[in-house]
Amino acid sequence: MERDVPRKGALPGLERGIPITLLLGLVFLPFLARSSGYVLQVFTHALLLASLALAWNILGTGGLISLGHAAFFGVGAYASGLLSLKPALSPWLTIPVGGLFGAGLAVIVGVLCRRLRGAYFALATLAFVEIPRVVTDNWDGLTRGSLGLVGLPGLPVLIIGPWRVEIGSSAAASYYLVLSYTLVVVFLGALLWRSNLGLALQAAREEETAARAVGVHVDRYRFLSLLLSAFLTGTSGAIYVHLTRYTVPGLVYSLHFSAVPVIFAMCGGRFTILGPALAALVLYPVDQFLFHPLLPAGHEFLYGLVLVLVVLFMPGGLWGALRRSP
Amino acid sequence: MTLLRVEGLGKQFGEVWALRDLDFTLEEGEVVGLVGPNGAGKTTLFNLISGRIKPTTGKILFAGQDISALEPHEICHLGLGRTFQSSRPFPRLTVAQNVLVGRVFGKEFRFRPRPDDLETARELLEVVGLGHKVETLAGSLTPSEQRRLDLARALATRPRLLLLDEVAAGFSPVAVKHAVDLVLRVRERGVTLFVIDHFLNLSLRVSNRLLALDQGEKVAEGAPPEVMRHREVIRAYLGLRREDEND
Amino acid sequence: MWVTALVSGIALGSFYSLIAMGFALIFGVTHAFNLAHGELVVLAGYVAYWLWKGWGLSLVFTFPVAVAVLLCLCLILQRLFALLREPLELNSIVMSFGLAILLQNGMLFAFSGDYRLIRTPALTEGVYVNGLSLTYSQIALVALSLVAIGLLHLLMHHTYLGKALRATIQDREGAALAGINVRGMGLVAFGFGAVCIGLAGPLYGSVHYLYPAAGLQATLIAITVTIFAGVGRIRGLIVGGWLLGLAESAAVILLGSSWRELVSAVILIGLLVFRPRGILGREEG
Repeated sequence: MERDVPRKGALPGLERGIPITLLLGLVFLPFLARSSGYVLQVFTHALLLASLALAWNILGTGGLISLGHAAFFGVGAYASGLLSLKPALSPWLTIPVGGLFGAGLAVIVGVLCRRLRGAYFALATLAFVEIPRVVTDNWDGLTRGSLGLVGLPGLPVLIIGPWRVEIGSSAAASYYLVLSYTLVVVFLGALLWRSNLGLALQAAREEETAARAVGVHVDRYRFLSLLLSAFLTGTSGAIYVHLTRYTVPGLVYSLHFSAVPVIFAMCGGRFTILGPALAALVLYPVDQFLFHPLLPAGHEFLYGLVLVLVVLFMPGGLWGALRRSP
Repeated sequence: MTLLRVEGLGKQFGEVWALRDLDFTLEEGEVVGLVGPNGAGKTTLFNLISGRIKPTTGKILFAGQDISALEPHEICHLGLGRTFQSSRPFPRLTVAQNVLVGRVFGKEFRFRPRPDDLETARELLEVVGLGHKVETLAGSLTPSEQRRLDLARALATRPRLLLLDEVAAGFSPVAVKHAVDLVLRVRERGVTLFVIDHFLNLSLRVSNRLLALDQGEKVAEGAPPEVMRHREVIRAYLGLRREDEND
Repeated sequence: MWVTALVSGIALGSFYSLIAMGFALIFGVTHAFNLAHGELVVLAGYVAYWLWKGWGLSLVFTFPVAVAVLLCLCLILQRLFALLREPLELNSIVMSFGLAILLQNGMLFAFSGDYRLIRTPALTEGVYVNGLSLTYSQIALVALSLVAIGLLHLLMHHTYLGKALRATIQDREGAALAGINVRGMGLVAFGFGAVCIGLAGPLYGSVHYLYPAAGLQATLIAITVTIFAGVGRIRGLIVGGWLLGLAESAAVILLGSSWRELVSAVILIGLLVFRPRGILGREEG
């Protein structure tokens, strides 16, 4: 259906070519990098961060910049972690439930910050992370406080007919799980983008007053995008915690998980579907393979530097610029 | 029928009354021009009617319904649309997408796109003369093209009444002629129009009736020639105020 | 016990006002948010620490050097902020967010994550007044911030430059039309901000532990106090700082020290949500 009017892209070949090549590379990575478990680990992590950045950008599509997505990430991580320990539920169940907890927290944020825009919304989200973090840190009875959760079950077992895959025990299987999840998030993001809801969000982002004047219920749609974004972020957090099998409040609620999606989405391209994921898949490995060995402490300055440069000189992000240049 | 009725409408900002005790009506099918010098309260009136700001006193009735307390998107759904003094397209969306927003959200929300949505959008773009720029990004249009896009987008919401704010501001005489034709074409589609153009060149040519404001109050109302010859209106445009009157 | 809390709350609060002063001035004049503000304070602290540790400089002499370093940095910062496009407030938040990360990691590299403290035994001693125990550091904090506020007030209300600054804070366009070099005012604001930060940093390093991630807290505090005071209202900064300091002290007594960081976050959110857009001191019609 021709609802989506195609735009003149840059080199249309590149626009298709790059993602497809990347996807192929990702699919075959476990074979290409057979000798190095570390490479697989890095890319597993990169994919997880890609899913986080994509989830963040769902909110960004509506024009809201959140500097506190670690709140949803952490809540999802803790919910899933705790439920997999005490009632000892399977991560297949606890991971989506983690997402639901993320969405639940988003309801609070959405109601509180209903009237906030732009910089003030960003500030509120930045401050908001402290609330679940400090609560988790202190509610020893429930969350074991700053000691954190240890010995969490890994990623679950997949049973299809006669096949049984212990995903948690296999680096390759874990990798493919995270890859599949990230592809699902890409798919959801694209679906949203091309839907009427996505159109409304983008209109609200571009010109909020005009959008209202032509009948767009801006507040309601933004709230919906916040819920979806938080759900996916919480799910990412839950997956993360079963990958690492341990966590402390200072980790999953850290500025790192608030900053990373902002940086990847901005550097990749807020106004595109794939931009955030592409940035994650480039910047994170570069940081880990190149800068981390050189600067064991402080290698993440790269992220800060790239963000500053992008905001000043290339607000549409690198992928965004590539797609638009004549 | 009476499409719009304004009763005792007033708006206060801090100490200042931008609009005071305004009464008038608009009949369906009319084109009414809203005239007056800068600061007379014309855009404030549009902002009140379209729900962007709320009245301090009085009320606004659209097709019999009190819309004084409604939100802009709700008012749009009832069939009252507007354009803005400075054009506000969605820059990073295409021209077609801009109009689609109006088409899809103007009445009630539909999650699934309908097959005729894009068709209608193209048709409206033809009407305003932007049919050849369907895939262009709205941000790269010229200012006059952006105004026409805003108009197409507002029309896509299927309004019964359309508030046009400065649709021909800054236009050359030739462009004004095109704008006049455009407005008349819109009128032919059955849309009632309330037009601000403080340079007068457009409103005089298309309006059935004029409503003149000065310093937030109505000073004249009636057929264009009479209103423009009205003493108060001339004085207002010349910058003389009624308090200055001492003859 | 409550009296001790009162005293420490006011001392802490005075310190908070000092931190907020620089931020309030910069934001008021340029409308740019600097999320790296806290990192700058910590950096100034590190500079003082390095001078004290590596060169044996006594605390007092570290202040001028810290101020000088910050002046250079803020000059560069002002240039960066001037490059930003609309919407300024949002873009400045995101860019300074990046700067904060950059600075944090820079400090992590230069000083490692270990907690550092400028030990000045003289400051931990104190006086006993009317049954009340006050340390010299607390007195210094209160005194310094009052002096700073006083000087700032003098500047803003009794000098020509101050008048121009206030005009720019109240209405940038109007000020420009009146012939004030608004760009230049931004530079001045960053300059004075640098002085405030340069003074706050070494103090921070002597009463608090310095560590790279400490900046965020300081930034949130600065923003909270600034918003509470209302942009452009200098005197409100002292009151706001004290209230925040007292609130935190109360929270520590009632709930325990680990709840302290929540106080400023909750207050900030409360201010943002419940205080109407009159952060600018007037309602937007």
